[in-house]
Amino acid sequence: MISIRNVSKWYGSFQVLIDCSTEVAKGEVVVVCGPSGSGKSTLIKCVNALEPFQKGEITVGGVSVGDPKTNLPKLRARVGMVFQHFELFPHMTVTQNLTLGQVKALGRSQEEARDKGLKLLDRVGLIDHKDKYPAQLSGGQQQRVAIARALSMDPLAMLFDEPTSALDPEMINEVLDVMVQLAKEGMTMMVVTHEMGFARKVAHRVIFMDGGRIVEDAKTDAFFGTPRSERAQQFLSKILHH
Amino acid sequence: MFEGYDFEVIRTSLPYLFRDGMTFTVTLTLIAMSGGIVFGTLLALMRLSPFRILSMLAGGYVNLMRSVPLLLVIFWFFFLVPYIAAWLVGADRPIPIGAFLSAAITFTMFEAAYYCEIMRAGIQSIPRGQVWSGYALGLTYRHTMVQVVLPQAFRNMLPVLLTQTIILFQDTSLVYVISATDFFGAAAKIANRDYRLVEMYTFVAVVYFVISYSLSMLVRRLQDRIAIVR
Repeated sequence: MISIRNVSKWYGSFQVLIDCSTEVAKGEVVVVCGPSGSGKSTLIKCVNALEPFQKGEITVGGVSVGDPKTNLPKLRARVGMVFQHFELFPHMTVTQNLTLGQVKALGRSQEEARDKGLKLLDRVGLIDHKDKYPAQLSGGQQQRVAIARALSMDPLAMLFDEPTSALDPEMINEVLDVMVQLAKEGMTMMVVTHEMGFARKVAHRVIFMDGGRIVEDAKTDAFFGTPRSERAQQFLSKILHH
Repeated sequence: MFEGYDFEVIRTSLPYLFRDGMTFTVTLTLIAMSGGIVFGTLLALMRLSPFRILSMLAGGYVNLMRSVPLLLVIFWFFFLVPYIAAWLVGADRPIPIGAFLSAAITFTMFEAAYYCEIMRAGIQSIPRGQVWSGYALGLTYRHTMVQVVLPQAFRNMLPVLLTQTIILFQDTSLVYVISATDFFGAAAKIANRDYRLVEMYTFVAVVYFVISYSLSMLVRRLQDRIAIVR
């Protein structure tokens, strides 16, 4: 579904991604972890071309992301993305947030978009908040709306960029629960996260990044059992100490 | 103290001052405001565009307008526009377009430069993630701007835009130099005709003060009410 081949990216003369290659198959859940500044957020933003990259190739559902001829809005409409800071539109109600993309990018009717959006809002347990503004919701609730918004586009795959990093500890689980559910339903997911519990529970593979490189790309059991690289061992020992 | 002054002239000239003069002033302000904000927003988008040619064109225009005195621009347009109009329709004589139209074009073009800088700051105040979020939903550049960025930028900047409009309202009095009958121009005409300069100019000052000051108070109140909660 998502294929990343030999991708390199520079900010000026500073190289943030170094020859990264990996695959995410249909229905697969891949967790990307690593210390901050390792390039994991940058890599996931390259997948839907929010960040340009200078070398290599990324394809999503067979469509090349880096090709200047690719219709990016059309491609992005089918790739759901959830951000660290939610990024709901603060001047719109929850319902308007849910319908905007469907109407403008997919050409659905206002009514169809509303039905679809509210159904997903119900699924994340927030139907009572449909007429509120994002600022009236807690962080966890906003992130669940953001997930519903991404799902309303019927995405081929979902990208999560540290979806729980900006949340208070007691709100992390309500968001992870939605993500676990989604994974169990067979959604293709690429998740940048530090939640190793989540990785253990639902990830098929774990990618470990450091210094802009993919250092380790292994099946979940193998990764947690016997990581091959020393850097990944250190990282795990630091975040799994309790 | 008021010996020798005749304030009766104010009362008798009220209909002329307001029906003719103030109507002109307010109409000109509203046209220049709406035109200026629309054109200014386009300029701001051009200035922020990754295409060098667009941003340089818009930047050049804004810097030019902000570096020359408004009075000069008013004169310049008043004498230049008839020639441009003649050239556009292929006439061999300059086509006079009248003080009002000339003033409306001038103020729209001039104010656009100032509104542009306000909208540019407004657009830049919107977090990068909002643009990403719009793009990630499959919105085009146009939709992302129109639906996501500009409404928020506009709301954040509304107090500043209105303050600029109050300045514009006062600046429209300069059209007096092209003999237009705005509020100030009307008062000046009466003042000179009846030789009641002190009375009329004092009255004009009071009216401008009352309107501008009340509007600023309104803007201040508005400021607290419209802020977008994040």
